[in-house]
Amino acid sequence: MANSPEEIKKATRSYLIVFGILCVGTVLTVAVATWYPLERLIGGHGFDTWDMAVGLLIATTKASLVGLVFMHLNHEKFMVYWIFALGLLMAAFLGALLALADGDPVKDGFFYSGPPEVSENL
Amino acid sequence: MEIPYVVSARKDTGLFNSKIAIWLFLASEVMLFGGFFSAYVFLRIGADYPWPERTLPVLPGLINTFVLIGSSVTVVFAWASLKLRQWRKFQIYMGITIACAAIFMVLKAIEYNVKLGHQGVRLTDYTILEGHLKYETGADGEYARDHRGKKVEQNNLSVAATAVQFNSVRYYKPWIDEILAQVEHQNAGRPDEQRAKVVLADDIVVKLPHGEAAESKTIASAGEPLSRELMKRIQNEHLESRRLNSRRRTVALRSEWADAKAANPDAKGWELAPGVNIDGEALEPHLRSEIPNVLFNIVNGPARLYFGPRHLRQGETQSRLRDDTQLIGAMISSPLVLEYVDAIDFQHLAMRAVERGIDPIEAIENSWLIQNHPFARDAWDWHQRKVVALEERLRADYGTRADGSPRRVPTNKERYRIGWKELAEKAEEEGGAGLSYFVGMSEEFMGPNYAARGSAAFPEISIPRERVGFASKFTPAWNTYYAIYFTITGLHGLHVIGGAIVLGYYLFCGRQMYLTNPEWLANRVEVGGLFWHFVDLVWIFVFPILYLM
Repeated sequence: MANSPEEIKKATRSYLIVFGILCVGTVLTVAVATWYPLERLIGGHGFDTWDMAVGLLIATTKASLVGLVFMHLNHEKFMVYWIFALGLLMAAFLGALLALADGDPVKDGFFYSGPPEVSENL
Repeated sequence: MEIPYVVSARKDTGLFNSKIAIWLFLASEVMLFGGFFSAYVFLRIGADYPWPERTLPVLPGLINTFVLIGSSVTVVFAWASLKLRQWRKFQIYMGITIACAAIFMVLKAIEYNVKLGHQGVRLTDYTILEGHLKYETGADGEYARDHRGKKVEQNNLSVAATAVQFNSVRYYKPWIDEILAQVEHQNAGRPDEQRAKVVLADDIVVKLPHGEAAESKTIASAGEPLSRELMKRIQNEHLESRRLNSRRRTVALRSEWADAKAANPDAKGWELAPGVNIDGEALEPHLRSEIPNVLFNIVNGPARLYFGPRHLRQGETQSRLRDDTQLIGAMISSPLVLEYVDAIDFQHLAMRAVERGIDPIEAIENSWLIQNHPFARDAWDWHQRKVVALEERLRADYGTRADGSPRRVPTNKERYRIGWKELAEKAEEEGGAGLSYFVGMSEEFMGPNYAARGSAAFPEISIPRERVGFASKFTPAWNTYYAIYFTITGLHGLHVIGGAIVLGYYLFCGRQMYLTNPEWLANRVEVGGLFWHFVDLVWIFVFPILYLM
């Protein structure tokens, strides 16, 4: 992390550059979603078409820049990466749990495959 | 006591302690918001109604994005200023950051206010109308006011009540006050002898069991006015009766079982069970009488009692509140009246029609709204022409496939929803006045300007109560989209407020620390700034997901 005055002064330039990129990214996201010529270029809109992917890609890029530059993740100590990665992993795990909850284990046959065969002796 | 590692780094972690702490906290925040975003995805995939796409105003969301991005830069500049020991610059940058937080919250408050005042109605045929509820007016044309002095929305169910019957266990205390207040409000200006009153219909007498000093006990006399205290007294007696009676019934049943067992020592319990019963007649003199319901008459009535549609189920001669209170009297016609309809949405109706194998256009043509409201008919015809024009434009722009089918067709929203912008456009095409730039721009934040555009754009529609399937303001109750929208943005808003408070503390109370230990303050600001960047980072995803998709 930048600690000396020279390093900090140098870093402020990169903050401004990132700010510019974030603004452009935001305008681009809105344009992709609402500006007809761009929409036409990318091909239709809706949850299942390309503009969603492009919008989320831009958002992820913006979030990465915020994390890397503003939050100094581009030059952090190992401990921070470890903690953050674990958080991301657990969030992904939570999403996977929801995916499991979305299915019906009985109906879909994950844990249950119909009634057991009934013996006539019972 | 000196707190360790607030300035210098620990050797094992290489970090000062609060930095470890904030990253642990941020990791938990990643999981929290990650969970909500997962919930959003699954709610959207599993929605059994057309998911509201791009229903939020983009401009305020866009401005808020810039505001948060800007504040992220200023907070990091504030930290850099402290590192360079430039207190004045730190004050300026941190001041801007907090001002950005305030702007963000003001815009968010406007957005929430518009949503919470906006009414949605789903008709029984799944047509959805959106707009603004009409307020009741008095004979003088002024707005009618209820006993709280508030305007009364035309979305209440009314009963001309001559009597009220409470369930003595389940009654909801605030509704006693509500009924009394409504009756009292209607008494305004009436002479004493004509004032409506809610009074006990009959004496409340409890029969006491054998062995007591008296045969019965009078709890209350006919004519006593309704009050919480009276109902509490009756409830206590009723519960006392139930306690005593249940004890005695248990004792009697045990005795019956003991007799049956003694007479048939080898029999199984399940064989004896059908024959073991309490002798009701013999037990009756030993029981107290219970008071499950209490009837009150409204003298000099009927009085108009009204409640929201979620609280009251109307019947021809008797209506029931959610707490089992019966309002006895004739039902008063209680249509839901939208003073301004600003959107007509057939998406859900079309979806249901397709599910049942019916042509959606035919279903819409036969819908109650189209059949009964000329404006809706007119708007639908106008919209159909627009859809045809859109289809032609899309065919020209996107081309066709080998089989001749167009590469892109209008979305369901474009086909079946007539939003406020379309209604405004229609009114302008038909000769209505357009709005000035600034008034038009304010609509992007505040929603349609009903007063300026008038009923030519947004008509009044009265919906008979039996046609209302579900009605709600645009709250989490309206649908799962708004539930997750308010959850995520509300939680994010709380983070903005919390972050602004912490950063504000550094700004306004940090001077002393700056003078004694500036590096410690810089580290604190860095930690607060990390949280602030995370708030920005969450919004970077919230904006496209909730506002643009």
